[in-house]
Amino acid sequence: MESTAEAKYAAFEEKVERTIFVDNLSPQVTEPVLKKALDQFGTVVSVSFIPNYLETLSIPSCALVEMENSEKAKKVISSITQFPFMMAGMPRPVRARLAEAEMFDDRPVKPGRKIHCHWLDPSDPDFEVAKKLKLVTRKHATEASFLLKQQLDREEKLHKQQAETLKANFKKYEMIVGVLGDKTAQNLAGHYGMRVSDDS
Amino acid sequence: MVQANEIESIGFKWGKKRGIGGKKKDVQFYESFTYDDVEYALYDSVYIYADGETEPYIGKLIKIWENSDKTKKVKILWFFRPCEISNFLEADKAVENELFLASGEGVGLANVNPLEPIAGKCNVVCISKDSRNPQPSYEEIEMADFIFYRTFDVGHRVITDKIDDKIAGIDVRFLLNSVSIQKPSAVPKPDSNDKEIIGNAVVAGVVDKNVSGKPLKLDDSSTDASTKENSVSRENKAAIMTSVKQKSGLGKKPDSYTNSRSDNEEIAHLKTALVKQKSSLGEKHASKSGVELAEMAKITKWESMSNDKITSRSKDNVSSESKASSIPAIEIHAEKKGKATKDSVRSSDRPSKLANFDDSVKASVNGRNTLQKLNLDSGGSDAKALDRTTTASDDKSKRKLTKNPSWTENISLKKTKLDEKLTKHAIGQLLEASPREASNSVSKTTDQKVEVTRRPEADKSKWFKMPPWEERMQNAHAEGRLVLLQNLDPSYTSAEVEDIVWHAFKENCTAKMIQRTAFSSPHSGQAFVIFKTSEAAEIAVEKLDESCLMLSNGRPLVGSIATLSFPGKPSTFFGHIYIDKLRLQMQREMKEAVSTSHCSQPNTIEYDMAMDWCLLQERTDLEWKHLYKQQGQELRKLKANLKSK
Repeated sequence: MESTAEAKYAAFEEKVERTIFVDNLSPQVTEPVLKKALDQFGTVVSVSFIPNYLETLSIPSCALVEMENSEKAKKVISSITQFPFMMAGMPRPVRARLAEAEMFDDRPVKPGRKIHCHWLDPSDPDFEVAKKLKLVTRKHATEASFLLKQQLDREEKLHKQQAETLKANFKKYEMIVGVLGDKTAQNLAGHYGMRVSDDS
Repeated sequence: MVQANEIESIGFKWGKKRGIGGKKKDVQFYESFTYDDVEYALYDSVYIYADGETEPYIGKLIKIWENSDKTKKVKILWFFRPCEISNFLEADKAVENELFLASGEGVGLANVNPLEPIAGKCNVVCISKDSRNPQPSYEEIEMADFIFYRTFDVGHRVITDKIDDKIAGIDVRFLLNSVSIQKPSAVPKPDSNDKEIIGNAVVAGVVDKNVSGKPLKLDDSSTDASTKENSVSRENKAAIMTSVKQKSGLGKKPDSYTNSRSDNEEIAHLKTALVKQKSSLGEKHASKSGVELAEMAKITKWESMSNDKITSRSKDNVSSESKASSIPAIEIHAEKKGKATKDSVRSSDRPSKLANFDDSVKASVNGRNTLQKLNLDSGGSDAKALDRTTTASDDKSKRKLTKNPSWTENISLKKTKLDEKLTKHAIGQLLEASPREASNSVSKTTDQKVEVTRRPEADKSKWFKMPPWEERMQNAHAEGRLVLLQNLDPSYTSAEVEDIVWHAFKENCTAKMIQRTAFSSPHSGQAFVIFKTSEAAEIAVEKLDESCLMLSNGRPLVGSIATLSFPGKPSTFFGHIYIDKLRLQMQREMKEAVSTSHCSQPNTIEYDMAMDWCLLQERTDLEWKHLYKQQGQELRKLKANLKSK
């Protein structure tokens, strides 16, 4: 019994090592998309998305991708980190890092660990401290969700800003294409005695 | 319950043959067999001992045979305990001793098992109003170990109160109450002996007809040699019933002697009486001659024996409990003897039965926590009975006084001997015994550190696949049964969280640790817990809020009713920009080629923008790191104040 639990946990740890955690994924990224995208670096064994039950905000989705071995996993991470990697959209790159055991849903119980629990008596000197700890826990959770909101706000801001830039850029190019298309550019060039270089 | 190691040495005999089957006609089917001196017949309900299970399985024998290689097999149609299928019970409440008959088709309906793990007969009564079901009497239901009226379809996994015509190929009439089940429990014709007991009961003014009927039934089954092994557990139940009712009756008797006596003392006194009576029973059994008066004298002598004996007795918790339950029966007997000297032959017969009955109680006490509970409950009724003074019982005791003056004398003598401390001690142990038994290992005293182990009911429903977590979670959320736990060690697994909840609240639940993502706190793990009812969820949250459940490493658990963001695809995603005019075209491309993913080249506008995103990412990462570092420090500072680690 003991040994099988340990063997199971060891197998799990190996799995953790060959798995990468990918986030900043668009909701449009589905399992086949992800699989296809990462197949170019090595064989993808399995993909599982980590659901977001907690945040009411829509945060980018993330997933665990199991590669065939840990070397391949590291290779994927280095490739993706080196060059911004686009998946199902531009220009926000996805991000990859090594997976951690806590990211897995079906992780086995770590063998040999003992958990103790007891109800504290109100007269216990620790009771007040525990109360404070509970408050702090709640506070921290609120802080974290606040930071997450901030982060999303900033992302939105960047998104809008880039959308503006892109729109401006697009408008510019559209105009250029337009002027070139309706001979306005050539007329103007002739008017000012300039040589339009593209056709020889 | 029969222990596993005893099984080997226990006698086995085949009963009535049924037919021959199998490919080579080498399989002999049987209708009945005797095992461990218990006769089992087809369609009997039995306990099946299973390795690693705290509670035995319960099923019905639907086929019995012996293979050519002499292996004995039984096919068993299963009953489900409510806890085994609790996930499908949802809002439906199950009675404590309710079972569900397996039906439909699929895994878990019936199994071929070796015969050896059968651990005893089980009295299961069908209380379905179905017309095919011979209706059980009130006594039968009272006496049943378990009842059932619903079935659980193992294929569709639904609970229904409709019973199919055929289950596992067996006509359902065999599976419901059979005529043969009804027979032994039919009320026997009262003979002079029986009348006497009833008369006695009436005088006592407490024992109602039902109860007085029960000991009779017991007698009935044990006198008859062939039905002697009428299920052990059934005798138990009857014993419990009698003990509960009778105890309250007994409370009255001392009333006539003294008013100040507490019923606590009463119990202790009964115990001493019992200790000695047991041996007296053995004697009686051997001699088979009923010299009542001499016996009475004996009893009284024993009662007044030294106090040391009482304490030593009460130390032995479990056995004393089981004995306590047999007291009333013996008391009845004693009363009867006091009156009926003429009926010597018959009454001397009785002790042997009582001895049997006593054994059975002892044997089963391990498995039956309810026994202890019931005994404890009876304490309350004792008190009530004590308050009342009825002329009837007065009369009776007076009569007794005249008949056997030495007895009463001795009792009052002993009464004075019993000092407060001693009785308290005995009672304390008595009270302690049952919670200890019931909760298997954990008692809920506040300051006791408890190691979280696997809860007993865990993994019971491994036969069935659960509906997907999300569905269950959303249902639970809608019904207010979903609780969010915080400040868990992030490395706990869902199963461990379930165990913690089990130990802290004695509630079964399903839990799921929230998987860590890039933003998760390294300090506080979170988990969703689905409770069975919204009440349980609210109680748990309230309790966590008001008092503190301390986990390992100084983590007080934080709980709240969860608010859920419905999982599903989030609608917005920042960072992917489309030019509206080109969007249509883009989407078409997306459909055609799944992979538009690529590494950005450094000479594009896309690359520039991607760099912006990377910058932002780095910045937020730093912020998170900083936040969690700060929170960690804060926690460490607070935890330093904890006295105990």
